[in-house]
Amino acid sequence: MNNYFDRFINIATTDPDDSRRRSILNILLAGVGVISIAGLITAVIVNPRVNFTIIVISLISIGGVTIIYFINLRWSGRTASIIFLGLLTVICAFSDTPLEVAAGRALFVFTIPIIMASILLTPWSSFVFGVISSIIISVFANSVGRIPNSPAILGYMLVALVSWLSSRSLEQALKELRVINANLDKIVVERTQALAESLERERLEAGRNQAILNSIADGVIVFDKNWNATMVNPAFRIMLDLPVNLILGKNFREFIEHPRLAAQGRNLLSAMIDHDTQPLGFRIEWGEKTLSVGAAQVYDSRGENIGTVTVFRDFTREAEVERLKSTFVAIVSHELRTPLNAILGYAEMFKESVYGPMTDKQINMAAGIMKNTDQLLGLISDLLDEAQMEAGQLTITNAPLKPAELLETLHSLLDKIASDKRLRLTSEIDDDLPDILSGDADRLQQILTNLVNNSIKFTEHGEICVRLRRTDDAKWGLEVEDTGRGIPEADIPYIFETFRQVEGSTTRVHGGVGLGLAIVKQLVNLMNGEVKVESKVDVGTKFTVILPLAVP
Amino acid sequence: MSELALIIEDDEDLANIFSEALRSGGFEVEHIADGRLAQERLKTGNAPFIVLLDMHLPYISGADLLTIIKGDEKFSKTMTLITTADALMGNMYRDQVDFVLVKPISFVQLRDLTRRLKPTSQ
Repeated sequence: MNNYFDRFINIATTDPDDSRRRSILNILLAGVGVISIAGLITAVIVNPRVNFTIIVISLISIGGVTIIYFINLRWSGRTASIIFLGLLTVICAFSDTPLEVAAGRALFVFTIPIIMASILLTPWSSFVFGVISSIIISVFANSVGRIPNSPAILGYMLVALVSWLSSRSLEQALKELRVINANLDKIVVERTQALAESLERERLEAGRNQAILNSIADGVIVFDKNWNATMVNPAFRIMLDLPVNLILGKNFREFIEHPRLAAQGRNLLSAMIDHDTQPLGFRIEWGEKTLSVGAAQVYDSRGENIGTVTVFRDFTREAEVERLKSTFVAIVSHELRTPLNAILGYAEMFKESVYGPMTDKQINMAAGIMKNTDQLLGLISDLLDEAQMEAGQLTITNAPLKPAELLETLHSLLDKIASDKRLRLTSEIDDDLPDILSGDADRLQQILTNLVNNSIKFTEHGEICVRLRRTDDAKWGLEVEDTGRGIPEADIPYIFETFRQVEGSTTRVHGGVGLGLAIVKQLVNLMNGEVKVESKVDVGTKFTVILPLAVP
Repeated sequence: MSELALIIEDDEDLANIFSEALRSGGFEVEHIADGRLAQERLKTGNAPFIVLLDMHLPYISGADLLTIIKGDEKFSKTMTLITTADALMGNMYRDQVDFVLVKPISFVQLRDLTRRLKPTSQ
């Protein structure tokens, strides 16, 4: 019923103001129609003969309403409104005696077309109907011999003014509302479009991410913030040889109870979950496999943790190689040194004539065996140091040490080797260097010995000068300066590399495998120091090691 | 106090060299080549003046034997010297023993060292 009524009064046109006015006209027409029908029925029921005029007026009114309705519906709302208002004004003019219309009770009825005009036509139309009404009452006043009713005319104009104002405000408000609505529509369209684009981008991104995950060899699981697995790539399933339903959607706590995971790995993973930490990377044993694990938390744009990405890498082969390497190092360390120690010991016993007097030649031979064995032992030590440093197993200790003792030991080890080459090995200590420092005496000795050994090796005549200096308040340094052949500038960047000597062929001429300086560099790094080299070909080389000064 | 030096070393050649060095240093030498025998000897036998103990032994480790020596009052005057190929391991025991000898160990150095350790009255 409501719908039907709505359809009855509503008229769709492209102009919203026109549509609104025509709808209002329909409502007014409906009202007038209903009143006319009610009047007709009442008149017929009470006494048709007495109320004949009312019946005629009602019938005319119903007919007029119908005609205006169709004009409004099919043709023009404006015309329909003008006809309606015109008729209304005429009805008002003849609704009472001329005297009453000119100056009596019928005066007020003219306000109805004035107000309606501002609603049904343009706002200013109220003034037109105000003027028309004023003319009508003036004509009627004249016809009954009275002067026009100026207060009524003034009243009409005031009503017209108020109607004009309110209608105009309403129209303006509606106009603004329409502008706002249009803008809103535009914004909605834009936003919808942006949303659609962003959804599309996200879809592409997700597809790309999935492709990346699928293509990489590392196993990746993505967890939400409660450690439920939300995404897993094929590499992970293959690596762990597990069906996807045992991983996806499962909580990680449940997952790490798997019997193939070794207890140590379970503890590490459990700690990672419990503390929400992202360890730098650790290893776990899964059946026969060794896996390295890395994790990173995921944060949203507000900095809130929304989960963790965990990456598993198959480390089995590397772990095996490392194990073999450390086994090899252990074997070298013990099984190679023991027989060499025996060779050295027996040679010493010959040299010392433990079992009876030896000839000079025999003693020289024994010394030769000792020298070569020493070289071999030194080489093994260097290889072991290098291997340990590479594996990060070599640590630097800190204990009180006397710099002077470093030099004493240096002389006892290398004086003979230097003098055999007719080189002078000199040393000095700065007065302001403390007598006792804190550091790793064995490793400092190794640094010094390696540097001086290197200098002896590459110096044909002249001297090697060792200086221990205090460089500033917080640092001290070792300097080894020689008068050797020097290092070409282009080769300086490479001299600290493992198994490297300047010019490949010199290895055989000068002996050694090129580990000495590499070890120096790494030891100095472990001590948080730095090593510098200055060199001039055919003039000499100066190595400077700068170390943090620590006093016990 | 006897002038006995007890050498616990599984490598025959090193044991020979160490024995000769200590003999040259003026000691009477007793050699044991494995950890189990050494354990037995330490528990039942008399205390030597010097124990030269290899940390890498079959059956019972040098560390275990060192614990026995340190835990027994009768060894309170015994000088303990340990031998190891591992300098780091040597450092770990530096506070518990009189001397840590890192392999390679020189015949001459061992001889001269033990000569100095020998009681001056002898």
